[in-house]
Amino acid sequence: MSETTREPDARQIATEARDRVRFEEEALALSDQVYRVARHLVGSREEAEDLVQETYARAFRSWRSFQPGTNLRAWLLRILTNLNIDRGRRQQRRPDEQPLEEGDYFLYNKLEAAGDGDTDEDRVVERLSQNDVVAALSEVPHDFRDVVVLVDIGDFTYSDAAQILDIPIGTVMSRLHRGRRILKQAMAEQAVGT
Amino acid sequence: MTAYDPCTHCEEVMQQYMDRVLTDSERAEAEKHLDECAYCRKRYRFEETVRQYVRQAVAAEPMPVELKTKLAALRTPLQ
Repeated sequence: MSETTREPDARQIATEARDRVRFEEEALALSDQVYRVARHLVGSREEAEDLVQETYARAFRSWRSFQPGTNLRAWLLRILTNLNIDRGRRQQRRPDEQPLEEGDYFLYNKLEAAGDGDTDEDRVVERLSQNDVVAALSEVPHDFRDVVVLVDIGDFTYSDAAQILDIPIGTVMSRLHRGRRILKQAMAEQAVGT
Repeated sequence: MTAYDPCTHCEEVMQQYMDRVLTDSERAEAEKHLDECAYCRKRYRFEETVRQYVRQAVAAEPMPVELKTKLAALRTPLQ
């Protein structure tokens, strides 16, 4: 084999190494955001840490399948949610069997009624503690919580969330709608009781 | 059949309004109602505050430093 045929190979290897390093750096730069979403998709901090580690191990192994220029954060979350499903934590009632939730104004009305007549919305929201919110979120059933976490905490679009969870966009919208209502109902229960 | 209640309708479209996914005419209708109705306007501002509040509450728990180190160690070693 001549030098001229080996040279492009060396260049190719160097280019690939550079692309891989760049990929890994970009993925690591997103780890805080990936963890924040993971933390609220699963039940415990330990579970979230394991899942994020597993996600990055798989992402680094299969980095070639990522298409540069597309949404890396969504790609990582897609891996994470698939791993989470593989772990078999999807044992829950079907959405149709969930109890009916209250309307969108329920939380405000409940907090306002529990207050001392102060209807200022900023002060009404202060009746919720951060712990109330975190506890309420963990009470939302998985199928709904996944969508709420991705859209409202992860700032993903409906379309990204649909791709990450591999569900139709209409399902994202309906689960988001119900999920937010269930969340607010749970927040009201945390803050003022039923 | 129940009579059309603009506040009930506003409540129903509130989340889509906040997500900016309503059509132009639906959005204009929602904004017109919010301009005119103090009851819904107050609840709309509350909903905006709640979203921010939820985001802040869950962001309060940072990623453990040890996890960050573990992730960095997963990188492919340079040849």
